[in-house]
Amino acid sequence: MPIYEGYGTITDKLTFIIDIGAAYTKIGFSAEFAPRAIVASEVRCKNTNQVRNIYDYKDKEDLYDLLVEFIHLLYFKYALISPKDRAVVIVESLLCPTLFRETLAKVLFYHYEVASLLVVPSHLVSLATLAIDTGLVLDIGYTEAVAIPICHGSPVLHAWQALPLGSQAIHSHVKTLLSADNTGIQNISESVLEDIKEDIKVRCCFVTKRERAEKLRSVSSDIAPCPSVVYPLGGTKSLNVSGKLREMMYEIFFDEDLDHLCISTMILNVIASVDVESRTLLAENIVLIGGTCMAPGFKARLKAELYRQLKNERYSKFKNIKTIKFHTPPAKENYTAWLGAAIYGATEIVSMKALSKDQYFKEKRLPDWWSNLKDVVRSI
Amino acid sequence: MEMRDVTYNKNDYVETASGNKVSKQTVLCGSQNIVLQGRVIVQPEAIIRGDLANVKTGRYCIISKEAVIRPPYKKFSKGVAFFPLTMGDNVYVGEKSIINAAVVGSYVYIGKNCVIGRRCILKDCCIIEDNTILAPETVVPPFTRYSGNPGVQIGQAPECQMDFMVDFTRSYYQHFVPAKLI
Amino acid sequence: MAYIIEQEVVKYVCTCGLLKPISKLYFCRYCLEVRCGFCVCHEVDSHFCEKCLENMPSAEARLKKNRCGNCLICPSCLLHLSVRAATVGPKNPEDPKATPRKVVYLHCLMCRWSSRDVGIPDQIAATGGWPERENVYNVRLSEIIEWYKSVVLLEKQQKLEKDKKKQRKYMSFTDKTGLTAEMIRKRIGLTEPPNPLLKTKAKPLEGAIAKEDVEELPDNIFTQPIKLNEITTVQQRLLQPEWQPVTVDKLFPIHKHLSVKQSLRCRSCEHNVSKPEFNPNSVRFKIQLFAYYHIPEIRIVTVEPLRAGQPAELLLKFINPTQHQTVVTILDLSSMPELIQDDKCSADTSTDDELKPIEKEPLSLSLTQSASLLHTTLSRQPSFTIKPRQTKQQVGADIEIPAANFVLPPRDDAAEFDDSGENYNFNDDPRLVKWRKSNKAVIKLQITPSTDLNLGDQVVVGFVMQHIYTNTIATSVEKDKEPQKCQHKIRVFLSLGNLLGSSE
Repeated sequence: MPIYEGYGTITDKLTFIIDIGAAYTKIGFSAEFAPRAIVASEVRCKNTNQVRNIYDYKDKEDLYDLLVEFIHLLYFKYALISPKDRAVVIVESLLCPTLFRETLAKVLFYHYEVASLLVVPSHLVSLATLAIDTGLVLDIGYTEAVAIPICHGSPVLHAWQALPLGSQAIHSHVKTLLSADNTGIQNISESVLEDIKEDIKVRCCFVTKRERAEKLRSVSSDIAPCPSVVYPLGGTKSLNVSGKLREMMYEIFFDEDLDHLCISTMILNVIASVDVESRTLLAENIVLIGGTCMAPGFKARLKAELYRQLKNERYSKFKNIKTIKFHTPPAKENYTAWLGAAIYGATEIVSMKALSKDQYFKEKRLPDWWSNLKDVVRSI
Repeated sequence: MEMRDVTYNKNDYVETASGNKVSKQTVLCGSQNIVLQGRVIVQPEAIIRGDLANVKTGRYCIISKEAVIRPPYKKFSKGVAFFPLTMGDNVYVGEKSIINAAVVGSYVYIGKNCVIGRRCILKDCCIIEDNTILAPETVVPPFTRYSGNPGVQIGQAPECQMDFMVDFTRSYYQHFVPAKLI
Repeated sequence: MAYIIEQEVVKYVCTCGLLKPISKLYFCRYCLEVRCGFCVCHEVDSHFCEKCLENMPSAEARLKKNRCGNCLICPSCLLHLSVRAATVGPKNPEDPKATPRKVVYLHCLMCRWSSRDVGIPDQIAATGGWPERENVYNVRLSEIIEWYKSVVLLEKQQKLEKDKKKQRKYMSFTDKTGLTAEMIRKRIGLTEPPNPLLKTKAKPLEGAIAKEDVEELPDNIFTQPIKLNEITTVQQRLLQPEWQPVTVDKLFPIHKHLSVKQSLRCRSCEHNVSKPEFNPNSVRFKIQLFAYYHIPEIRIVTVEPLRAGQPAELLLKFINPTQHQTVVTILDLSSMPELIQDDKCSADTSTDDELKPIEKEPLSLSLTQSASLLHTTLSRQPSFTIKPRQTKQQVGADIEIPAANFVLPPRDDAAEFDDSGENYNFNDDPRLVKWRKSNKAVIKLQITPSTDLNLGDQVVVGFVMQHIYTNTIATSVEKDKEPQKCQHKIRVFLSLGNLLGSSE
């Protein structure tokens, strides 16, 4: 009964905060300290009864339908509020396709009739959880790793770097390595492997130390890899997850490709493309967000890798960077961006800056201030 | 699809005054404790364990072949006690399903090969899909659709589920006719 | 039974253009249009717990973060936890007078997880009092939120003043990002004189300090074998976003998430089409405008084998669910031209217009009024309707449209018990109507699957069903007036099965 609900809301506005990630969606309410739910970004197709990720859309109309279905689930299964005439804050990645954000806005305004919509960039809001305004934010999500420096509260867009390194890359790596290790894996159907690869990654694998990785890679390694794990598979069968696989899984993050690109050099390249004064500051304010950063040992390895790369002569100009420091947000990495948006959502910014329904119907599109900004930056 | 007639051999079934049609090949233990309210169909090889505790069904219930209706028990420190099992009106129980529930509401559809754990409570208008295993003491709320092992909610039943089940069980009863002797 | 488990074969076209079975359709008596779950406005009606089936007022639900205070679910397999009683020895076994105590603990009947596994102390009372955990960052986060609130409020105040002075409005990039312009000004020491009206109580917040040391891998990870059943799965972790425990000994019971009853509202006339009763146990409705109660239901009785180019006989059963007699006419699909025309123009225009809301004339006044009230009250805004989309269903068979129509008598619940022979004088066309009983009739249609179809293709046939709908709203207001009758048309598509090979 929406009428009764109205009485309490005059003093405390309830703003719904949605962070639709490529793999998991974080939802909750403003001024809360953790999301209410983290759910897989997928819906069950009504006609075929198949589970589909909402990013696997065929065209605009398909995406519209997927989003309608998915957002209905978010509102009526998890948030339990009526969407109509309420404000929504959406956390979006900088690299979010225009089609996706436009369709999302359309779904929210046309189908769900939300009162207003505020779109916040994930990298910027993540800093709000730390109450700082300068930092290098590295988001390693499902599909890609994106690093963007934020200087004095505004993203330095021309310095952004992205690599297709994320959980998806790890998952396909798990599959190849498992197939190499277990000759019997051909007998296991593709769909089973699809289901367990994330579980194997999360429960068995970790980011090993550099020295060990190098030794394990060489043919005549003198160290024993960590113990292997027998992974049970549907009662009778089992899968052997070798110790080498467990340790080497995340190495693809640190293997430089032909252009010397990997997670660590990406960070240094970002630092290289900002002005000289900010460099030290950024190196001492690195913020890691995204679920993939939660792998055990990831931070330690990244630090070691960064120090190692700094010795490389390619980065000799970074002489004055003596230390590299990481922030620890008061949240788990996978919902840091959401938490930042929840902090923003608690403030008056929602009523000041959000795009209202009337405005949207006049403009018929979501103002793309990122692209405006980019154009201006280029012109300078 | 419109329902087709299902014929049965008149000699194989007992028809009571209240319209119950019970196959002679069923196992009804403790039949004095079994109450079938009328127009209930119990098909061959179904088992109703009235010897454990009372079993009561509503009108227009269909108990399919090889289904087992078995009152639930609860363990106490001094032993085990069985509880009566009640079933509402217009309930369909699919083939080879085992019902250990404490309460099955009205207008409930239970698919085939299901196991309804002991002391489950199935509220009115819910659907249990085929091959579902419900954990003991599960509560299935109205208008939900459960599936899987262990059974979890996967969707919702249509809002006119009540009328569907009434229509379904009635037409099942009407189409359940004795074979004409030629 | 088609609606419960099987694939739906008879689909009606909703006003919004989607194909739905009759069970998922609604019929708005006020607009006299069919609606479906996609084109109505969903609203949260009441909160309840699925386990104990008790209502929770929405204010309380919000306070408890949509979770039931009494029911808990297993953190391991996500099913309900049961409370188990046990007796333990007295506190001081030396005392001969002490009696064994009764305690309760939580236990999962599915995966055998128990609250004793993780060291939760047993409770005396069965109703709970289970220990709750707090987010460790609570204090820090509330500080941050307070600070951001005050900063934004300050900026808002300054902006208001600026507007008052009618200054030239300038935009900087940083201003667009929100509070940042303010922060830069602060940083370089250009704080504007604080507004005396504004409470700038929030003390300046220390930004977080980055650290060089990070969590290193434990050394034993390289040597110690891991036990998979002691490590939680992703699903178990994500269930508790604040803690995301890695090992199973940190799994704690979770309060059961509430569910809601939804009411549905027609978007063009703002009337409810479905409103459930408040009681979570109830399966009745206060308002139930389901299409199943208003529109004749069509069922396929039999269909002859379908062969390309060869006519086949199709028997359909029509059921009149209303209390009024109706006349059903079967028309060709092209007899609903207004919709098709709409589809055409939306297909021609640019893609952005296809979802153009159709503004409602009588409500435009309230729209402008409420716009100013938007932020002060949460009064209901009028909805707008969305243009229907084109129906993409392809038809794979021709249908011979019968010239005659047929009458369906009103539904009579008593007729079922009336076994006496019924006589009908409806002057039925015997070529059309094959059988009838009370409110049901079976009719015969000739269909010819198209020769373009391939073997094994699904044969879909479509037609428009026109029926007389007797509107009962007017009669309740003005008693002496005759119930209003109207012709209602709806498109219907039937999936008849796969195309078979030729008869040879």
